[in-house]
Amino acid sequence: MRRASRTIMFSLMTFLLAGSALTGCSGNSGNKEAAPSTDSSTEAAAVTYPIKTDKTLTYWGALPNALTGVRSEHAEVPFYQEWQKQTGIKVDFTAPPTNQIDESFNVMLASGELPDMLEYNFFGFPGGPEKAIKDGYILELNDLIDKYAPNYKKYLQEHPEVEKMVKTDNGSHYAFPFIRGDESLLTFQGPVIRKDWLDELGLPVPETIDEWTATLKAFKEKKGAAAPVSFVGKPRVFNELGNGAFVGAFGVTRDFYLEDGKVKFGPAEPGYKDFLSLFRQWYAEGLLDKDVATVDSKVMDANITSGATGATWGNSGGGIGKWTPIIKEKDPKASIIAAPYPVLEKGTTPKFGQRDYFMSTGGMVAISATSKNAELAVKLLDYGYSEAGNRLFNFGTEGVSYTLENGVPVFTDLLMNNPEKLAPAQAMSLYIRGNTMGPFVSDKGVSEQYLNLPEQQEAVATWQKTDMAKYQIPLVTPTPEESAEFANIMADVNTLVDEMTLKIILGTEPLEAYNGYLDKLNSVKLSRAIEIKQAALERYLQR
Amino acid sequence: MMQAENGLKNKAFDWMINTALILLVIVTLYPLLYVTFASFSESSQLVANKGFLFKPLGFSLDAYKSVFSNPGIIKGYGNTLFILVVGVTLNLFLTAVAAYVLSRRNVMWNNLFTFLIIFTMFFHGGLIPLYLIVKNVGLIDSLWATIVPFAVSTFNLIIMRTSFSAIPESLEESAKIDGANHLTILFRIILPLSKPVVAVMILYYAVEKWNAWFYASIFLKDRNLFPLQLVLREILIANSTDNMSTGASSADQFMIGETIKYATIIVATVPILVVYPFVQKYFEKGVMIGAVKG
Amino acid sequence: MSKLAPMSGYKTTASHNSFKQRFIRDFKLNKLLYFMMIPVLLYYVIFHYAPMYGAVIAFKDFSPMKGIIGSDWIGLQHFKDFFSSYYFWRILKNTVVISVYSIIFMFPAPIILALLINEVRHQAFKRVVQTVSYMPYFISLVVICGMITDFTNSNGVINSLFSLFGYDGAAMLQKPGLFRPVYILSEIWQKIGWESIIYIAALAGIDQEQYEAARIDGASRLKQMLYITLPGILPTITIMFILRMGNMLNVGFEKIILLYSPITYETADVISSFVYRKGLLEFGWSYSSAVGLFNSLVNLILLISANYISRRVNKSSLW
Repeated sequence: MRRASRTIMFSLMTFLLAGSALTGCSGNSGNKEAAPSTDSSTEAAAVTYPIKTDKTLTYWGALPNALTGVRSEHAEVPFYQEWQKQTGIKVDFTAPPTNQIDESFNVMLASGELPDMLEYNFFGFPGGPEKAIKDGYILELNDLIDKYAPNYKKYLQEHPEVEKMVKTDNGSHYAFPFIRGDESLLTFQGPVIRKDWLDELGLPVPETIDEWTATLKAFKEKKGAAAPVSFVGKPRVFNELGNGAFVGAFGVTRDFYLEDGKVKFGPAEPGYKDFLSLFRQWYAEGLLDKDVATVDSKVMDANITSGATGATWGNSGGGIGKWTPIIKEKDPKASIIAAPYPVLEKGTTPKFGQRDYFMSTGGMVAISATSKNAELAVKLLDYGYSEAGNRLFNFGTEGVSYTLENGVPVFTDLLMNNPEKLAPAQAMSLYIRGNTMGPFVSDKGVSEQYLNLPEQQEAVATWQKTDMAKYQIPLVTPTPEESAEFANIMADVNTLVDEMTLKIILGTEPLEAYNGYLDKLNSVKLSRAIEIKQAALERYLQR
Repeated sequence: MMQAENGLKNKAFDWMINTALILLVIVTLYPLLYVTFASFSESSQLVANKGFLFKPLGFSLDAYKSVFSNPGIIKGYGNTLFILVVGVTLNLFLTAVAAYVLSRRNVMWNNLFTFLIIFTMFFHGGLIPLYLIVKNVGLIDSLWATIVPFAVSTFNLIIMRTSFSAIPESLEESAKIDGANHLTILFRIILPLSKPVVAVMILYYAVEKWNAWFYASIFLKDRNLFPLQLVLREILIANSTDNMSTGASSADQFMIGETIKYATIIVATVPILVVYPFVQKYFEKGVMIGAVKG
Repeated sequence: MSKLAPMSGYKTTASHNSFKQRFIRDFKLNKLLYFMMIPVLLYYVIFHYAPMYGAVIAFKDFSPMKGIIGSDWIGLQHFKDFFSSYYFWRILKNTVVISVYSIIFMFPAPIILALLINEVRHQAFKRVVQTVSYMPYFISLVVICGMITDFTNSNGVINSLFSLFGYDGAAMLQKPGLFRPVYILSEIWQKIGWESIIYIAALAGIDQEQYEAARIDGASRLKQMLYITLPGILPTITIMFILRMGNMLNVGFEKIILLYSPITYETADVISSFVYRKGLLEFGWSYSSAVGLFNSLVNLILLISANYISRRVNKSSLW
């Protein structure tokens, strides 16, 4: 029973996580700045592709979800065929079943038969990537990169802020990561609102909290919206607050953030109480969804598309992209647009907003400690960071998946309007990795063609205007010893925070109860968690 | 007088029971109806819907087309059928034999055996040791890996043993006098007397095999061996709207996910639902006693 | 297993003999039985006992690469972490309360259904009831919980129905006091038919002559049900009950996390859902293994106790 429940837990966990920021941004791509492959390296010998070799490498990694039912093996996917052809290296792929990645990974490690390359989130590895190296799972790549990965090395030299990110505290390289090649690819989520309702009511797009209150009131009174603003409460209630939507107006987030070099935890800061007070008032006035604690993505879809809800927080793809066609079907004038992150005073720049890191924790490929072909594997993986490789990963093969128009790659109908009736996401996954993740630098040209609604294009620009870069804690890692302690503390802390937040907003407890919760947060050693974060931050800055 | 009074009482009794059961039928039928209607609905209308469904919203077979266009589905049915037929046969044989042994009185080690078997319901080594065992016995990437490691269900074994224990010993006496051995007693006397419990075992094991996907996903690497549920799970996950928060703009793809969720349930559920009516006839009153007399 | 069987002669005499003599005697008598048991015992040894060493990861800092044996010992650390969690007592209490509720309300439901179905005289109707009532068991939890949430939301059907009787109309799943009733009732809704099957099968084994005798005595149908039918399936009920006791701490997390929210944590958060949330932060095989071990230990103790009591009280027990 224990076995069953644990394994179910794993899969459900991944299932629920699937919507979170980990995969949140995979619809993006590459960078034109990527280094040309030959003239780059000073230390590293230039590699000419295709390489002549008769060795076959082994590679373990999941197939993109969109390919389920389209192709069942890497070998049948044109992209992987082309990658082997262009590099001259034969690769034997193994794919774990969709959503069974963690279990498959663990039994593979236990069975002791490791392939040369592993596509897996080693950043999230229990104890961190440094531990994965120490425990003998994967190779430290520093020397190999110096010798055999001129393209990747050149990219890092040109982007020192990325270089800091892709290494461990000890300075070890542990994988060839997926890198977002442009600032605009970091942001893809934020507040959204019904533009047609605003126009009809003669209201501007709300910027301040007061304007939001007025707008929501108008939605309720004049548009009959039963739940003017609503948020998905699964898997975590007010999930979005971590990024600072609404709560950010009061100078805090629901998560850790950085201010004046100090790590702070939002819910323990005074601004959080003001935020609770606002949402409490919204709830009491019926502006915030009455059922807010139980809203899942299905209910949210129904609320938005049926006009019960006029504002929420969403993705450019999974939100705006999903809802727009449905509401337009009913009313051609209807549209959902991005609203800026709310502030208290008009004209100020929002302090927080959703902003991902340049390095993604998904899509990275490491080389196993037992590999006998590490050098060749490095050469294969380095290709993704070369100019030719960048094209291949982002746009595929010229004449097949893209054509050059004025020097800019444009996707063909094979991808965007597939003759076999494949959805663009599916057709793309056959020829490129630009719409998912992998060992390369993504190019914004992909998402510009992929997210093709004007509302989606504008959204990124709107949401991007925050000071998040200043307040964001970089991708730090606790030490292996601290990571379990941190998880233990945070399990209690998050439970407390969620309970307090909801109970005060829904009016089960008075606003003053907040102070009592502060004491409870102290008693579960929040300060120790902050300490661990702070120490990790300092180690990061030392890198 | 008393007869009449009882007749009246019995009528009221019947009336009450029937009403209660009709209500139950309505309430329990609804989920399947909902799923059926949803699976045939237009996805855009379904997404916008809240509350009851009394008929499909619009009509669309897109979800089914999408599910059946997956080449793994037919193979999946085939694999599941193999696992079901072979697996349940093995399950039944081993469970019946063990249940018979454990139901014998005056066998010195039976209590210990029973305890040791029940103990396994509580303590496991977890996934990795099991994987290593399955690997060492050479079953990885074979359909047998989904059958042999699950050859006996302890829960089912206990139920069958309890049922065997309830059979009066007197019924075996004549056979014993004739010098029949244990196998003969089990297959000629005990099993024919236990049709209801055998039917329950077939149902329990069949449903378990039908729904199993987790170990298949770990023990099988060759996609041609995937059972139906594993194939469907992949379809479901690939189409889950949550997963599509990747920035894709293809709305049709998002939305079909909602109807596909229901179509996969229908595809996965209907065949196993059909089993029950066949099993049911063994639950008729007096099956057992009839067998004894006959 | 019934302990009412008359002791056969050999045992009474043999019991005076030494263990060794009994052993030999028993083996000679039951050789074939032991022989028949070999395949099943082998199965349990290979697929259950051989992997059981894996449970030690509860006391280790498990690293798949080092393997179960090679991982470092850290003693009771995971247990300490679990027991010293701020919410340990709350999640333990919630787990037990939900389990006890479900034993009180959920356990008898399929028995009652089986008894009712048994009284139906119209054969076709009987089959329809059986077949239909077991269907919801096959619908995935996500869909079932979606319906539950939908029906109990502020404008949901069930909510509206209760509002007629003075309910205040707030979403039921946002009320800590209503979480458990909603959980248990929906559990009955989904599983009553499926779980009644075992009892319906047991009913088939009741001697029909008893009913005839009762009818001649003029016993009402209700009386027949209470004095013939119910005792007839009592052994099955007992066994199911003992097994249920051994499940006390296993309240699955899937349904809980689909229905709960922080507003209902105080009544809804159970051990498995807490471990699940912790797993979102950092998944620890060892930690969840330690929690599992704790659950199993408690469950096993409860099962042994239930078995012991049952053996004393109504002479039927697992061993």
